[in-house]
Amino acid sequence: MIKAEGSGRHEAVFVLLLMQSLFWLIAGISAIPFALAGEVFMAPLALVTMLLALLTCLVGIGALWRRRWARASAIAIEAACLFGSAVLLLLPLGFNRGPVSLMVNVLLPVAVILLVRKSDAVSA
Amino acid sequence: MFDIAPDHAIALYTGLLALPPAIYLVRRRRVRQAASGTVLAASVLMATAGAIHLGLVWTHLGEPITAVLFGLNGVAYLVLSQLFTWRWWRLASSALITMTLLGYAGFIVLGFDSPDQVALATKLLELTTLGLVLIPVRGEPGRPHRAWRWSALGIAVPLLTVVSMSVVWIVDLARPDAQHAHAGAVLQPTNDVPTPEQTAAAQRLYDETAAAIAPYRDWRVASAAGYRPGGPQDQPSTHWMNQRYAGYVMDPQHPQGLVYANTKHGPVLLGAMFQMQHIGQFGPDPGGPLTAWHQHQNICFTPLGVEFSLMTPTATCPIGAIDVSIPPMLHVWIVDNPGGRFAVDIDSQVVKRIDQG
Repeated sequence: MIKAEGSGRHEAVFVLLLMQSLFWLIAGISAIPFALAGEVFMAPLALVTMLLALLTCLVGIGALWRRRWARASAIAIEAACLFGSAVLLLLPLGFNRGPVSLMVNVLLPVAVILLVRKSDAVSA
Repeated sequence: MFDIAPDHAIALYTGLLALPPAIYLVRRRRVRQAASGTVLAASVLMATAGAIHLGLVWTHLGEPITAVLFGLNGVAYLVLSQLFTWRWWRLASSALITMTLLGYAGFIVLGFDSPDQVALATKLLELTTLGLVLIPVRGEPGRPHRAWRWSALGIAVPLLTVVSMSVVWIVDLARPDAQHAHAGAVLQPTNDVPTPEQTAAAQRLYDETAAAIAPYRDWRVASAAGYRPGGPQDQPSTHWMNQRYAGYVMDPQHPQGLVYANTKHGPVLLGAMFQMQHIGQFGPDPGGPLTAWHQHQNICFTPLGVEFSLMTPTATCPIGAIDVSIPPMLHVWIVDNPGGRFAVDIDSQVVKRIDQG
């Protein structure tokens, strides 16, 4: 029988941040062909996006290890993400409002914030 | 990929409706005190995925094999969602999710289905569930096989995410439907074959537009009229836009944009562009399929250099770029374009020849 003493909150945060880092990794990689085709500014954007993917993964590992900095970083990343999504949803720019977009850009950040907000036993 | 297929919409509602009972069932189970939060969350997500698959059965009754596969998949998810105390639950769940993800990839590669928002949302749900099933939780008693589970999590989740999303994207780009002229461009719905009246109207629109923009062969005249480059001029061609004409609707005397080839001899006029003011508002279509407008959807735009890329299947753009859609437009090419006088794009070889000429 599967049993656990822990709530698994930190582990769930890690899984969500891992997923988010993979989404950004894919976004970073997707910009490379455009950079190679002459859209030169896409090259630094691809690099920055992949670095953010790496950072998010590291924050996930930090959350798994119950580090206080990781908790603060996760909240900062997700708050920025939510703010950006909210602005884009409010502006009439044609921002995608499909279920995938809402899951990735709204639901996932909200879930991470709720999970880390209630987390206990963090260590510095 | 960014639409919801009509026969898939019901599954989305089924999944959402299944969420409250799934949470209720997990909460009322006595054993829930003994299971970790990740296991309970995985149980709820699996029940939701199961309901989505079962919801797809009813709209696929005309395809018996597909309907049976959806049914079996749905039932398997629902059963496993309630068996989380079973010794082999993790192994069985991981195997089911992996097979479902790979099966879906094969399904769309073989052309049995086209990727849409319901399918993509379900795949993301399944990938997250896989992560929650595999991850070891601190303080787990017994023999949690932590090393194996960490290895599986570290390899399977990233690999399956990248593979399934890449397959979806490649299939979507390689096999666009009739409404997608190319990646990111959605065509106005029209009749298939132009009528003689539509052919005549298209010819009239072409003649009037070609005559009206003839003076703009000299870019200085266009500049004096208010047209300004809307992007970098180190690209093969650039759209010059005139904000003063934003309010006109397909008026040959007042096109919203002009397209110039950036040649070593200076800008060479390729054609005009009519543009509507609002997203989703297609303009008048006198030529039927000959003059169908198109709208660029879900493109990642960055103000840095005014450049574009495409939004990924996971609805993300590179940092510094935002997802935008551009109001419908209609081009009128006054140079010989293999794609046609009103084609969505100008042929790159035509631009190259003009540059060399």
